[in-house]
Amino acid sequence: MSEPVRIQQEDFSQDAEIAALKASSKRIGGIATFLGCARDFSEGRDVSEIDFEAYGSMALAEMNKLRSEAIAKFHLLDARIVHRVTTVRAGDNIVFIAAAAEHRAAAFDACCWMIDELKQRVPIWKKETTPQGGSWVTQHP
Amino acid sequence: MIRVLFFGPVAERVQMRETQLAFNAGMKLQDVVTALSAQHPQAFDIVSFTAVNQAQVKDIQLPLNDGDEIAFMAKFSGG
Repeated sequence: MSEPVRIQQEDFSQDAEIAALKASSKRIGGIATFLGCARDFSEGRDVSEIDFEAYGSMALAEMNKLRSEAIAKFHLLDARIVHRVTTVRAGDNIVFIAAAAEHRAAAFDACCWMIDELKQRVPIWKKETTPQGGSWVTQHP
Repeated sequence: MIRVLFFGPVAERVQMRETQLAFNAGMKLQDVVTALSAQHPQAFDIVSFTAVNQAQVKDIQLPLNDGDEIAFMAKFSGG
């Protein structure tokens, strides 16, 4: 079974991630997921590609910490975080986050918290390619 | 030696991903910041986070050890 927290170039399967979560406990009553994918526009400009770059070792450590914190904070039964670091085009998957809990409220809250925290804490950057050239992205809400 | 890493927009402004500095006894993080920011002021304009050995550091007076890895990073934009 794959690690619950990963940084990888290749695409991921949401079905496989959810199956791994469900296999971890029979007490799970709800799984909330977030799928981040690439848009073809940003701030009024067309975007043809997005390049991701990460401080890999620190990013993975921070993502593992984030998962552990989420499990403790929201009493989750399990959680998974997968982030791609590669070049993506419109429609491609970027990040997958899933939170499994006994009840839906904790799963929803934890999923939302994890993606918000990931954006603030995990050293990953993206550069969008537009007709005007490439530009590094500052934080989106 | 002190290994210094740059990523993303900071690396682009410094025009390198990595450099090394000689370690001196009593060296502090501030010494590295002062030396490199004088050479690359435009890059350090966008540095928002500093990490030593993959842990974020806010105390610029942090004493360094030989072999430490320092990263100067712009605001993150993952996800």
